[in-house]
Amino acid sequence: MSENAAIKILICQGTGGVSMGAKEVEAEFLRVIAEKGVDATVGKRCDVIKTGCRGLCANDVLVDIITEEQGRVTYDFVLPEEVENIVDEHIVNKTTLEKRKAKPYYNTFVDQQMRIVMTGCGQINPESLDAYLAEDGFKAVEQCVKQMTPASVIDEMKKSGLRGRGGGGFPTGMKWSFCAATPGKLKYVICNADEGDPGAFMDRSILEGDPYCIIEGMMIAGYAIGATYGYVYVRAEYPLAIERLQMAIDVCYEKGYLGKNVMGFGFDFDLRIKKGAGAFVCGEETALMASIEGERGMPRPRPPFPAVKGLWGKPTNINNVETFANVRHIILKGAEWYASLGTETTKGTKIFAVTGKVKHTGLVEVPAGMTVRDVIYSVCGGIANNRKFKAVQAGGPSGGCIPADILDTPVDYDSLIKAGAMMGSGGLVVMDETTCMVDVARFFLNFTRDESCGKCVPCRIGLKAMLDILERITEGRGEMTDIDTLLEMGTTIKKASLCGLGQTAPNPILSTIKYFRHEYEAHITDKRCPSNCCKELLLWQVIPEKCVKCGACLKACPVDAIKWEKGQIAELVKEKCTKCKSCYDACRFMAIE
Amino acid sequence: MVNLTIDDKQVTVAKDATIFDAAKAAGIRIPILCHDKKLHPFGGCRMCLVEVEQMKGRLIPACTTPVTEGMIVRTTTDEIMTARKLVLELLLLKHPLDCPVCDAAGDCDLQNLTYEYKVNANKFTDEKFRWDIDYENPLIERDQNRCIHCGKCSRICDEIVAFGAYSFVNRGIEAKISTPFDEKLDCEYCGSCISVCPVGALIAKPFKFKARWWALNKVKSVCSYCGTGCQLTLGVKDNKVLTTVYDEDQGFHNGQLCSRGRFGYQFINSDKRLTTPLIKKNGTLVPASWEEAIDLVVSRLSEAKKSDPSSVAALVTPRLTNEELYLFRKLFKDVIGTDSIDHSAGYAHKALTEGLKESFGITASPSLIEDIQKTDLLLVLKSDAYETHPVIGFEINLAVKRQGVDLRILSDKSGKLTRLPDAKKYIHKPGSEILLVNAIAKSILDQNLADPAAQSLPGFDALKSALAAVSIEQISAAAGVPVEAITRLATDYAKAGKALILLPIGLGYPGHGSELTSALANLAILTGKLNKEGCGILILGEKNNSQGAADLAIHPTAGGRDAGAILEGCTSGAVKVLYIAGENPVVSYPDKAKSVKALESGAFVVVQDLFLTETAQMADVVLPVKSFAEKCGTFTSVGRNVQQIRKAISAVGQSRSDREITAELISKLSGAACGGSSAEIFTEIAASTPGYSSLSTDSLGDNGVIYPVVITPKLVPVVGVVPETEEGKFALLIGSSLYHCGTMSRYGEGPMLVCGESYLELGRTDAGKLGVSEGDTIKLKSAAGELNLKVKVGTRMPEGVVFVPYHFETSAINSVTAGNPVTWVTLSR
Repeated sequence: MSENAAIKILICQGTGGVSMGAKEVEAEFLRVIAEKGVDATVGKRCDVIKTGCRGLCANDVLVDIITEEQGRVTYDFVLPEEVENIVDEHIVNKTTLEKRKAKPYYNTFVDQQMRIVMTGCGQINPESLDAYLAEDGFKAVEQCVKQMTPASVIDEMKKSGLRGRGGGGFPTGMKWSFCAATPGKLKYVICNADEGDPGAFMDRSILEGDPYCIIEGMMIAGYAIGATYGYVYVRAEYPLAIERLQMAIDVCYEKGYLGKNVMGFGFDFDLRIKKGAGAFVCGEETALMASIEGERGMPRPRPPFPAVKGLWGKPTNINNVETFANVRHIILKGAEWYASLGTETTKGTKIFAVTGKVKHTGLVEVPAGMTVRDVIYSVCGGIANNRKFKAVQAGGPSGGCIPADILDTPVDYDSLIKAGAMMGSGGLVVMDETTCMVDVARFFLNFTRDESCGKCVPCRIGLKAMLDILERITEGRGEMTDIDTLLEMGTTIKKASLCGLGQTAPNPILSTIKYFRHEYEAHITDKRCPSNCCKELLLWQVIPEKCVKCGACLKACPVDAIKWEKGQIAELVKEKCTKCKSCYDACRFMAIE
Repeated sequence: MVNLTIDDKQVTVAKDATIFDAAKAAGIRIPILCHDKKLHPFGGCRMCLVEVEQMKGRLIPACTTPVTEGMIVRTTTDEIMTARKLVLELLLLKHPLDCPVCDAAGDCDLQNLTYEYKVNANKFTDEKFRWDIDYENPLIERDQNRCIHCGKCSRICDEIVAFGAYSFVNRGIEAKISTPFDEKLDCEYCGSCISVCPVGALIAKPFKFKARWWALNKVKSVCSYCGTGCQLTLGVKDNKVLTTVYDEDQGFHNGQLCSRGRFGYQFINSDKRLTTPLIKKNGTLVPASWEEAIDLVVSRLSEAKKSDPSSVAALVTPRLTNEELYLFRKLFKDVIGTDSIDHSAGYAHKALTEGLKESFGITASPSLIEDIQKTDLLLVLKSDAYETHPVIGFEINLAVKRQGVDLRILSDKSGKLTRLPDAKKYIHKPGSEILLVNAIAKSILDQNLADPAAQSLPGFDALKSALAAVSIEQISAAAGVPVEAITRLATDYAKAGKALILLPIGLGYPGHGSELTSALANLAILTGKLNKEGCGILILGEKNNSQGAADLAIHPTAGGRDAGAILEGCTSGAVKVLYIAGENPVVSYPDKAKSVKALESGAFVVVQDLFLTETAQMADVVLPVKSFAEKCGTFTSVGRNVQQIRKAISAVGQSRSDREITAELISKLSGAACGGSSAEIFTEIAASTPGYSSLSTDSLGDNGVIYPVVITPKLVPVVGVVPETEEGKFALLIGSSLYHCGTMSRYGEGPMLVCGESYLELGRTDAGKLGVSEGDTIKLKSAAGELNLKVKVGTRMPEGVVFVPYHFETSAINSVTAGNPVTWVTLSR
């Protein structure tokens, strides 16, 4: 039986898949196939293959079955108890279970994307070196070492136009050339996998779904800049990513892809994982290096830049996971090909983690330059619950908000910055009419202020002072001068802070004031939250005209503060109410204010 | 060099300068809170923000940003002023405004900048912190509520002191500086953290509520404890020295001090100071007038001089100034005509006065303190070098941590130095130092690593033939150091581009004498590690003027009695008059019984001291003297640095300086007037002392002058003796505690608060075997006597070896020792 003829059952086993029961589903497939002798029945081998994440984690467990006759069919929300039926019908009887098949949204979601970095994710077994080799694994590094000089590798990177995917967008080839130009026998390559932005998980998915591509990217960087030692700094909250990457590293050492004289190429490359202990600021490169050194993760002043004086004072090159994942593709397909994708200033693709009030949340990889609107509406299916779009927060907790009227902003580094947001690591949080923009600013600022390392004054105390003002506003105790104070402080803190955290932390405030100043003013002058979101400013009453008498609020209320009988308009008993907002969230008709 | 423009001024500075340095050079002041020139750049406070034309868009910290060619910098634009004001407003939002009761007021960078930037209102409101204040430790009050997170305390403790008592903990607004697990501070108490704290978060407890900073008169002087020669500034008010004031521009050490230097000043105004002369009448010392006391002393001295000048002897402490030592020598050697004058128990100066004299032809170290950071390999004899000379210890820390110096420690115990990064230790059996150094020399010869030029030096053949008899294998067995380690050390030392040897000496280290010094000198001479930067030998003299005492030959030079013989002479009746200036043989010389017997022998004993010491109590006449803070003069410190001390307060009680007393005695005994100021006497010293000829008080200035030496190297064969061992007994080592120096520090409040009594330190295994734990009392017994001591369990001591400091009068360790490098003792509960 040829390999081609085998039936493949791909089961998504990223963190999302596993938590939705992918392991049980896999076990069930194996059990059913073995027990029923399915291989013999259909005359072909049924390979159950675990894969990494394909981006649509909300719909896990996702199972792809590939047969000659039916091609590739995707089932979503698969439960272990359905497996037997799927095997019987789809594989044995060769009838696709149309009702259980993923709806058309799935294909739209996948087809609208352009997957380069994530080609392997969701397609190959991340725990198999052979699977990676079958996808031209380690061909790129071989090509570099055998056919290119380190300088020409760097040139190729420069020509490709690849910019750092960690958020800053610094041209990768340029960064490599700086480190290569610094003299020194011992240099380091670091992969920054301390993905800390709430909601962003593309780096995790790549590490879980295609760990070898990171190793290869780092090897190429090592060859290009003359580094012989690499670190992958992964946050400890990513156990599966660490497990799979460690497995890949171990296999590489065993098979001679890492260590002394790698692959017989005559250059040495060692690689190890350093687990981060959960500080957001350790994603900042100098804090990250301090953390590797065993110091408290606090940013250090730059210059000197890591390329000159980095880890343990040695020249060091730090790139993000997604950046390294791009490298092999650029080498294999050529800089011209890569440079032909994307926009003038941002080449290639970018992965976004789309969350919030959107229909299909998940990871999407799109060519740079696609508009924000297309990402939200075409790829992700638009706003959930038929509500109205209000804004999208781009770039994580220190990014900015993009309102409806500039939704056609293309997703590239410069356009996003111009819009008052940033690419960041690629988080897109979609907000609808029920989201209060002052509260959003407060939420993100609360995060950054919590995660401030406490080293520099503007960030440590300044963010707290700004948060105090925002809290005052959301509680109805704001003053009109507060807005100017926030603007003034925000601008100064951005300019005065030590590292990227403080330099960007005021962005959510500045951009929400820029586009939603009226919401701030409503909180301050009318003592009202226009989105009915800020608890202190809610009236805690039912709007009779909007109430459809469904009783959903009654079910949601944990303290019996809702009076409702069938066919009656609900009533909220203020004395009992604890302002938990359960009723508000439960009401689909915005009938509570 | 790099050219740049700052506020339209053209500046040219070295290329490793920061914008802050460049501005300073151009006379432009940029405000700072977290920057310290001694520490790595931090960039936390954001007060030094400036604008750089080429780096538009954000504000640039001047203190961390290196200059680049053509940089255009502005330091006072509106935007900068807004940012700096915001920083101050934010700091003041949390910093309590308790300036009226804060000891830092007046010396507070935050207070000064707040005033300068006119921050008289705050647009924010917030609650202050309510962290618990650490009142628990003896010397350093830590109030984290005042902390502005400059991190200097934690950085200096890590980078320079290499202790690591503090670190940042928590995140965001909750971040603070903490000790491990937020427990009370338990450290070396050098107080470096206090000195660099820009606010009042760290204050010296002994100084709390003593005086406002601005009311202090600040007088520059030199520390009077160990031989390092740290400069210090005394804070004086109402004729009392109330504190030491930090001045980051003082000395090679940038104002850094150790625990005793910073906190040990209280002996100056101690209420135990002698205030009048005392004369023994009917067996008790009673107050007397100066006239009566001097007359008595003069009559006894002139009587003895007349009958037999050699019946007069003197023990003089190397704590006195050069001028005083010079007059003492003149008084005894020239005026009275006795050569029986000595100091430091007669052995603690021999490394200089005999060892170096023999090997180099001079009595001072050829190397300097600054060589420590300039060498490639640093060989330290005894880990105690950190305890005896803590600020030189900081230099070693910096050498290892910043300059990557290869540190080797040949020692009978571990210690702080052996824990430094990549430090290699060679722990040997007590007393085998000379054997090991000889073995290294032999290995150098065996491996043909000797400098060819050394072969033509005097003594080469003698050394070679002496070493031919030496067996590295036998020494290895006797010393307990593997052969490979010895040969490796020999190879590394010989092959290092530059190598420096450090040897601490003192009353606690009888083994560190002339033989060990010559053996070490052989290594330097053999390998040509001499007369070059970062090379040679640095002998660390114990007391503030140990080097001066060697320079001025305060020891017998013409067949007179040395310290031991002087005491024996008293007992035998040969010495009729014993003149003791500042020495305290009853406590600090080995063999207490011998000293007591000598003092009880009937010889007429004169003691000059600050305090009624154990020795003074046995005197016939006691003369009260001035402390270093009450007089002028010079000290010569480690590395030949001659520095001035300055009078900070007027005399305590009726005390007179040793110079005044000695001059009067000379006048009365010789009939010729002897007076003159310190400066005039210094001129005499310069005229008569080798090396000092080019010096004058004027030329010394604030930083002193290192006098030049010319060495004539000679290889000196030294025989090492296999130390005796006694089965079933413990090897007792004595030495210096980190908090004390000699016996004077016992009168300093600070040192006594941290370490107020003697103790016996032993390792965990031995403690386990003996069934004792920290704080227990243990009985120590030697051939000479027995003692009870508190137990201190630590990681420093190898099995079978115990340590006791020698500074204390109660449980005085000299009642069980007799001056041998190692004493064998039994221990029982």
